[in-house]
Amino acid sequence: MVSAILSSRRFWLIMAAIVIGLLPMIFSDSYWRTNLIVCAINVLLAVGLDFVLGYAGQLNLGQSAFYGIGAYVSTLMIMKLGMPFWLAFACGVLVAGLAGMLLSIFAVRLRGHYLAIASLGFAVITYQILLNWISLTQGPLGIYAIPPPPPLRIPGLPVIEFNNLANLFYLTAGFALLTYILLDQLVRSPIGETLTAIREDEISAASLGINCQKWKVLAFAISSAVAGAGGCFYAGFVGTLVPDAFFITESFTILAMVIVGGMGTLIGPVLGAILLTVLPELLRGIGDLRLIVYGVLVTLVVLFMPGGIVQAGQRIAARLRQRAGAGDTVSRT
Amino acid sequence: MTKRTFRTLLMSAGLVGGIFAGSATAVLAADKTIKIGALFPMSGPGSYFGAQDKQGVELALEQLNKAGVNGFKFEVKYEDSACGPLPATQAVKRLLDQFKPDVVIGEECSDATLAVMPIMEQAKVPLLNAGSSAIKITDPGNPWTFRIMPNEVMQGVDIATKAYKQLNARTAVLLHENTNAGIGNANVFAETFTKLGGKILADIGFGRDVNDFTSIATRVASLGKIDVIPTYTLEGQGLKITQALAQAGVVKGGGGQAIQLGTIWLPFGFEQKAGKAAVGYIRIVQFDPTDQRDVVRKFIEAFKAKYNQDPTHLNAHAYDQVMLIADVVRRGAKDAQSIRVGLAATKNFSGVTGSVEFDKTNQNTKMDTIHYMETQPDLSWKAVK
Repeated sequence: MVSAILSSRRFWLIMAAIVIGLLPMIFSDSYWRTNLIVCAINVLLAVGLDFVLGYAGQLNLGQSAFYGIGAYVSTLMIMKLGMPFWLAFACGVLVAGLAGMLLSIFAVRLRGHYLAIASLGFAVITYQILLNWISLTQGPLGIYAIPPPPPLRIPGLPVIEFNNLANLFYLTAGFALLTYILLDQLVRSPIGETLTAIREDEISAASLGINCQKWKVLAFAISSAVAGAGGCFYAGFVGTLVPDAFFITESFTILAMVIVGGMGTLIGPVLGAILLTVLPELLRGIGDLRLIVYGVLVTLVVLFMPGGIVQAGQRIAARLRQRAGAGDTVSRT
Repeated sequence: MTKRTFRTLLMSAGLVGGIFAGSATAVLAADKTIKIGALFPMSGPGSYFGAQDKQGVELALEQLNKAGVNGFKFEVKYEDSACGPLPATQAVKRLLDQFKPDVVIGEECSDATLAVMPIMEQAKVPLLNAGSSAIKITDPGNPWTFRIMPNEVMQGVDIATKAYKQLNARTAVLLHENTNAGIGNANVFAETFTKLGGKILADIGFGRDVNDFTSIATRVASLGKIDVIPTYTLEGQGLKITQALAQAGVVKGGGGQAIQLGTIWLPFGFEQKAGKAAVGYIRIVQFDPTDQRDVVRKFIEAFKAKYNQDPTHLNAHAYDQVMLIADVVRRGAKDAQSIRVGLAATKNFSGVTGSVEFDKTNQNTKMDTIHYMETQPDLSWKAVK
């Protein structure tokens, strides 16, 4: 009975929702609430990348570009055209998704390292556009005083203000949870199986009548749209946009979250994103050694847990079960 | 419990203990203490700012805490704000929530300073800035943000006027990183220089990711007779540019005629790293080590005694930030609000870098914090008066 509950997806999703609800109550200061929001944004970026990398097997190093596109498109829509936040948000997500689609139409012909280089090139081009198209993006001069999402007015309830960090966390984390549920449904549907088949052996998949290019384009589009959503939240949260926030190193940070957590499992990137966001903050206490310790710990994870935290957890659980089984056998004999 | 499990537990406990030991300093603060939050870049390309700022702050603390000021001791907590808006936001929130400072000093990079200003205003804690030059920081002005350093307009106008009137420069090529401060400084120079009658031959911007400046130096060499090359970059790119310009025979250090002009962004020791390529380089520093004022001589002596090295302008401006706060405390300030009022009322504070007096926008109006230094053939400095 207990093991049936523990293996139920619904149980874990309800638990996740409860944890999200409790976190701002446990962490009441603005510093940790800020970190919680950064965690939620990073979860979006990581699960988005995992969808295209872990399930469709496409090494996309352009995630920072889609993140930036979402942030800039939504901000420019709000600040230059006076568009309402949620409409601008939809535009940001849509444009990021279309950009991903556009890149993938050319890039799906490539594989492995070649695809990585092509997507990295896309990230570099996007960064240069954000930096140098000053009349539109303000380039390095930056965009400041970007407002947070507007208050939510639900009849009969008090107004929910998003300049309150707890509310902004609920919004961002709620959206991240919703995205997780949708992606989870998707990867367990025939679409997920199709993508996995492409990842495992593209030629065999094609021989079964799967149009690999079409499915890879879809995976790219979904992945980049999710990153775009992360960008929309980033702009409203930090209130400042400069192109350096979307430099290519950000793509590698997101990739590290996916690898450390565990590629090809949606929960892995969630854990990776939380760990790689929280760890450097926890290490602030040790001062100048912070980044050295952080680097060493991440290297150790990659060296000793090549399948990421999730796989390591599964191995430990299997070993414990094995030991328990052996114990039972010994006690019976 | 196996030996291995025990070892793992011990290591984990040590790590967690180490992490939390650092945060414990905040708890040790005494009642009569002025808490100073220090928001410095300690990682990334601007980390040399943070390392040198820290030295200046530590020296000031050592001197002030011997006897205290008006019964107050000073305590500093450093946070790495990494020259970026998001890390600076995280770092300042940690400072405000966990350390609860009476005043914050930093950041160095304009983008990061601009990002933390609204947070400081909301928290009603004054921010004393020394290293960011973007005009937006004090224009139109924020009641909680003060800047010691001359802004980009003050610096740009001064350096352009000096180039035109004193160095008799008539042509210039602008080299700048594509950042808020890089573009701002270059624009002000161009505007002032052109108004005076000078000509800008080229305005070349580049990202912080550019590592090879050979093509830019070659392009500059093809532009004809150049009198001055104002350059706005951090140290890493600055070194490569200076060496590339010397190799291309453009600047004096490479046998050319052009004089490279620089800003306070470059740390001391730049000349030694650039070698002969830096000969003839003229740059603004916030601190003149040849200054004979008593406060400067004593600072240099104390700095050498503590660190066994010569102080830099970054050491000096961090030292001045803490000394200015001490001056405000001496005048009766004891918390964030009274420090803000005290800073605004500052008249003719005489620091190591120069004097300080804020206008309505909280910008220091005194120009004696700008000093020009020319690199000599033996790589030493000569003050350009």
